Amino acid sequence: MTDVLLKAENLTASYGQIEVLHGISFEVYDNEIAVILGANGAGKTTTIRALSGMVETTGTITFKKEDISEFESDAIVRKGVAHVPQGRGTFPELTVEDNLRVGAFIRSDNDVQNDIQNCYDTYPVLFERRTQTAGSLSGGEQQMLAVSRALMSRPELLLLDEPSLGLAPQIVEALFERFLIMNKDHGTTMLIVEQNAQLALGMADRGYVLEAGEIVIEGAAESLINDEAIIRAYLGG
Amino acid sequence: MDLFLQRLFDGLTNGSAYALIAVALVLIFKATTLVNFAQGEQAMLGAFIVLQLWNWGLPMWVAVIVGMLISGIIAAGLERTFIRRFDPADHLPLVIITLGLFLVLNAVAAIVWRYDPLAFPQLFPHGSAITIGNARLSWYSIFAFGSCILVLLLLHVLLNRTKIGLSFRAVSSNLESSRLCGIKVGPTLQFGWALAAAAGTFGASIYAANPVLQIEPSIMLRALIFSITAAALGGLDSLWGALLGGLTIGFIQSVLVQYIPFIPNEMTLTATVVVLLIVLTLRPSGFLGTKTVERV
Amino acid sequence: MASRFTFTKGTPQYRNYRIGVWALIIAIFLLIGFAFVDVGSISIGSNKYNLSLIRLNKAIAYGVAILGLQVVIGYTGQIALGQSFFFGMGAYISAWLVADHSWPFLLTLLIVVPSCFLVGMLCGLPALRIKGLYLALLTFGLAALFPTLIKLDSLYDYTGGANGKLTGYKFKAPSWLPLDEIAQGLQTIPLLGSFFGDGPLSSREESRLWKYILFAIVAGICFWLISNLIKSRPGRAMRAIRDNETSAAVSGINLAATKTISFGIASALGGIGGTIYVAEVGIASPDDFSSLVAIYLIVGLVVGGVGTLEGAVIGGLVYALIPDWASSTQSIAFVPERWLQGPTGSLILGILLIVLTLFMPGGIATAINKAKGRFVSIKAANSDKNSESVAQNS
Ligand SMILES: Nc1ncnc2c1ncn2[C@@H]1O[C@H](COP(=O)(O)OP(=O)(O)OP(=O)(O)O)[C@@H](O)[C@H]1O
Ligand SMILES: [Mg+2]
Repeated sequence: MTDVLLKAENLTASYGQIEVLHGISFEVYDNEIAVILGANGAGKTTTIRALSGMVETTGTITFKKEDISEFESDAIVRKGVAHVPQGRGTFPELTVEDNLRVGAFIRSDNDVQNDIQNCYDTYPVLFERRTQTAGSLSGGEQQMLAVSRALMSRPELLLLDEPSLGLAPQIVEALFERFLIMNKDHGTTMLIVEQNAQLALGMADRGYVLEAGEIVIEGAAESLINDEAIIRAYLGG
Repeated sequence: MDLFLQRLFDGLTNGSAYALIAVALVLIFKATTLVNFAQGEQAMLGAFIVLQLWNWGLPMWVAVIVGMLISGIIAAGLERTFIRRFDPADHLPLVIITLGLFLVLNAVAAIVWRYDPLAFPQLFPHGSAITIGNARLSWYSIFAFGSCILVLLLLHVLLNRTKIGLSFRAVSSNLESSRLCGIKVGPTLQFGWALAAAAGTFGASIYAANPVLQIEPSIMLRALIFSITAAALGGLDSLWGALLGGLTIGFIQSVLVQYIPFIPNEMTLTATVVVLLIVLTLRPSGFLGTKTVERV
Repeated sequence: MASRFTFTKGTPQYRNYRIGVWALIIAIFLLIGFAFVDVGSISIGSNKYNLSLIRLNKAIAYGVAILGLQVVIGYTGQIALGQSFFFGMGAYISAWLVADHSWPFLLTLLIVVPSCFLVGMLCGLPALRIKGLYLALLTFGLAALFPTLIKLDSLYDYTGGANGKLTGYKFKAPSWLPLDEIAQGLQTIPLLGSFFGDGPLSSREESRLWKYILFAIVAGICFWLISNLIKSRPGRAMRAIRDNETSAAVSGINLAATKTISFGIASALGGIGGTIYVAEVGIASPDDFSSLVAIYLIVGLVVGGVGTLEGAVIGGLVYALIPDWASSTQSIAFVPERWLQGPTGSLILGILLIVLTLFMPGGIATAINKAKGRFVSIKAANSDKNSESVAQNS
């Protein structure tokens, strides 16, 4: 393990009066894949929304040794954090290609067209549908688009919120393989929120288990995956 | 038949002006699902600025372009000061603010320029271009319509071929994801307001440039209803729909007024509101709008 | 926050307090009536401001119309902008019945209320399918439509077209009401007597005063009914819809029925306001019911305070007085006269609308209630803990 890329300390998050995260601390190291596991309503989405500056928070978040707690969402993206929100968050009225262009919005280099081509090479189906609106894609295609769009900003850290949600098992497998490749070949660090514990821990380096807004367990992925008790208690399977 | 043709030609000119104001409404609605009730008054004020610049000696087309710029800047300021601080999902305060702007802008124009009608620069050549039987298509109509199309094409290119246009479309489509792509949502919407005001100013200018009209502060009060109906007919979120809607309203108006003699003059507004009612109730997505309009 | 005085609901002291407050309000109301029935104007600098009861009578009319907006916007949360339509409808129905069929004025309410209610419900029907801004657009269209509709040639016989419809009705105070005697009695009060004019009331003044009292009674009944309505089950349903439509539907509230009824009530109140208005001015003319009036009524709603009953009273006063005073102001130091001749009233109302929305979203009523809370706090009966927090919040 190397440097800490992202570090959250004593992070709380609230919607109005209701505090959802009660002071959690965790970190993501350079080049690793970390997962956050937890049941419905545990606060997983809230956690990564907090990292992207989309909910009210207290505590500190440091990214590349810089305090980004007070940053606006768009500034955080510019720092190199990309976020694939739960439910995909594509731009339904825009074409597939425009979706990818929006993903590259913060870039001003000349490589954008190249990267779009790379996305098409990875997912030929997106190439076929490049002039269709994103809203007309199937769920799996939209997820491919959402991930590709996030990568278009060439992030150092990719936040993924339940990428497997609502997808057929084969598609999920392909998608996660893709994550592994991105991680190994391009060194993209990832923080993945998942309910599918087996799958996520299978490819992750480390894991956190969130329950009712608190981190109850953390550790190396192998140790978590082998701990039957943990899996049964917190992940229901 | 001649008379019908003549009315159709007449409808073209008013329709073009309505279409431009409707385009302005659509730009803001697309981005924020807000209907800017002050749009007509912003356009009226913009036209007065054009008039003022022209009186100060600017060539008229320069005055129009500078006037569009100035009203764009004013609109950007209005957005920053009054609109941005509100939650876009909470419509009531936003509607109230635009109604307040409506009153203030109208009053300011009336205080500065008074209610006496003033002559507006004749932007287009006089006379009739084409005569078919007794029906005459004036140069004014042709140029008004032509410049309306030109502005729409420019807008189309701006929205579809530029980066700021892309970000504007992204924000219209999904506000949260736009943020997550690094788009600064506030300034993008501000840009939309400026663009809308510029388009509206152009619309009010060609409206006031009608040889038979003069400009006065209440010139857009009725036009606002026509434009709102035009925008609704087009589906509220479609630029070309707004054009279609504007022309439809223009035609309904001019054909109803004289071609069907037993319908009195006041009927045009009545007919327009009836159209508005029917569209909103039965087909909120209009001619070309997206189907995802707000329904209970 | 500690209040100077604290009352607990249900106790005799609380009852006395309520009776005292209402007696005070009624006394002040009547004194104002007698004081201003004859005063033409006061002058500040070179500006002459009219203060006669005509303004207050208009304020009552506007207040009732704004009360309607409270019901539909303030309590049900539906953005309806077309109140001038119903205001005008009430005015014209009354004018027509009085002028052409010699009805007594107040009796016309028997037609005005149900017809405005029904038309309002009908207009509310599309609102069941469209919401938010679509409704605002539609109702704004209705408001713009009204003057045009009135001027239609085919309705000329009923509406009088662009010239308007004269009612030709004289309000005459009943002979048993000792208005004149009271006025002269007030004039004998040392020092203050001169505020109440001198000599007996002219028949015109007497009629004006009688209208003032009569309108206030009608308005008072409307306010009383609405204040009961909002505390009742349907009122709670309305507020639930305003706060969160989805959860209201989930908790078994009939959205369609509640919304249409709310529209109906709002429109009926608009109609009653219109009746009072035309009873005061004596003529219904189309441009008194333009879409600008619809916006001014919204100004009254917001400046008074959205979702408060007092707000409707304050809003009526704001609408009746501010534009009038603004146009009476013909000279202020350093301001060019040419500017003051423009629509300064409209400017001030617009600015008020924006400024209050930005900085005082509760309107004047909320601010007054807050100030009142420093002096008087009302505790709910039996549970002390709750009431304290209530008093603090209010
Ligand atoms: N916008 C919101 N307003 C109020 N409360 C919210 C909001 N979003 C989430 N919550 C609450 O915060 C808590 C955590 O929600 P969160 O979405 O983070 O859960 P999650 O772990 O992502 O669940 P899931 O697996 O279902 O996606 C829940 O109790 C939820 O009800
Ligand atoms: Mg979640």
